[in-house]
Amino acid sequence: MIKKIKASKSEKIILIFLIILGSIAVGTYIVIKNKCLFVKNHNPKNIHFKKPNNIVVLNATCGNIIIELYPSVSPNGVKRFKTLIESGAYDDVAFHRVIENKLVQAGDLEFGKKGSLNYGKIGTGKSGFGTIKSEVDSHFNFTKGSVGLARSFENDTEDSQFFIILQDEPLFEGEYTPLGKVLYGMKILEKIKYQRQSEYVLRPDFINSLKLHNQ
Amino acid sequence: MNLLRAILLLIFFITPIKANTIYNIIKIPNLEIYEINTKNKLKYFYATSPFRLGVQKNIVCSNPDKKDLDIKYKTIYKSLSIYSYDYLKKINLKYIVMCEDLSISGLYTAGIPDNIMKTLILDIKFNEDYFERVIHHEVFHIAYLQHKEIFNDEEWIKFNNPKFEYAECSTCTKKIGLKKYDKTEGFFTEYSKSTASEDMAEVYSYMIYLKKNKINQIRKLDPILNNKISYIENKIKQIESSFIF
Repeated sequence: MIKKIKASKSEKIILIFLIILGSIAVGTYIVIKNKCLFVKNHNPKNIHFKKPNNIVVLNATCGNIIIELYPSVSPNGVKRFKTLIESGAYDDVAFHRVIENKLVQAGDLEFGKKGSLNYGKIGTGKSGFGTIKSEVDSHFNFTKGSVGLARSFENDTEDSQFFIILQDEPLFEGEYTPLGKVLYGMKILEKIKYQRQSEYVLRPDFINSLKLHNQ
Repeated sequence: MNLLRAILLLIFFITPIKANTIYNIIKIPNLEIYEINTKNKLKYFYATSPFRLGVQKNIVCSNPDKKDLDIKYKTIYKSLSIYSYDYLKKINLKYIVMCEDLSISGLYTAGIPDNIMKTLILDIKFNEDYFERVIHHEVFHIAYLQHKEIFNDEEWIKFNNPKFEYAECSTCTKKIGLKKYDKTEGFFTEYSKSTASEDMAEVYSYMIYLKKNKINQIRKLDPILNNKISYIENKIKQIESSFIF
């Protein structure tokens, strides 16, 4: 006959403690694994914009980044950006250059596409539309959330690559062509994958889609 | 050897990148912002520790003493604030780097202009007597480098006495005196006699530095300098028509 042994009080306490510990471990794992857990996602349909034609929505891993473009500041830069957005060129393109708390850069249409990433050449790709002239003469404060066109070392080499800054960069004024500013979604940008040891990201995050609000 | 490699790799993997905006823009390390909110949009930086530049690392400069820097900045700022944003943009000058004991290949120099990087490096410890004027001298070099198509050395040489010859380069001559001649005879200083472009820079710097009536006086007394002054005036106005000496 099997004798049923009753758990002592202290054994019960240990069991409860282990269950709590296990729950915390599982919970922590979920939180760590899901980097987007506490990031608020904004639905552009629920927001009223003063100039809806100048609004673009970049969908990244953790949600939407809503950007207002400034065609009056950089008419050619914004025109190029919109042209590429309308053609869906930025969809599935990598955030190939990300510096923690400083900037995220994407838009290499030639070497940064999902499925055909070229780590050796990423950041040097072209759009096929040619380069455009830098528009750096207007007054523009490169504050946190500003969006600009990237270029090579020389001026007038802007093409498709763009960056968004995660901190104020006053020295960027007069250096880079401004495109606009992030209205919503800075937290989502901060969650984009980066590497502490390198500006260029191995197995980077991608732009899911980049669309005009009215598209 | 393997241990060394392992240590190096470890250092690489645990060392976070430090993004330096100033370095990314002008490729000079160890700089910090001194002042960036200026009317003509010139941005002033200073060296926080010594730096070396150039392919052969032959440009060397040290970090200045803070007190000296504060004093010299006032002079530099005052001198450069006479230039408009439009002019500076056309000559491609945007960044001023202030450091101490600036030298190139071991030769001490007041400034190093780099129109490509839009940068002028200035030695704040340069001879006090000429410091202010030399700032304008270096500004001219930026303009000259940026607008080589405008300035013509051959044309300039013709202003001089036919028997006169410049040295082959500004560093291959002993004519380096910066004191203004009492009797000019076609040249403001001994250094003017080094090369055509240095001569132009000296003329330009005096045109900015001296009062208008003093320049007019020199023009009346020295026909060679009169021609040279007219030449610089015309060329600078070609770059920026609103420029006033």
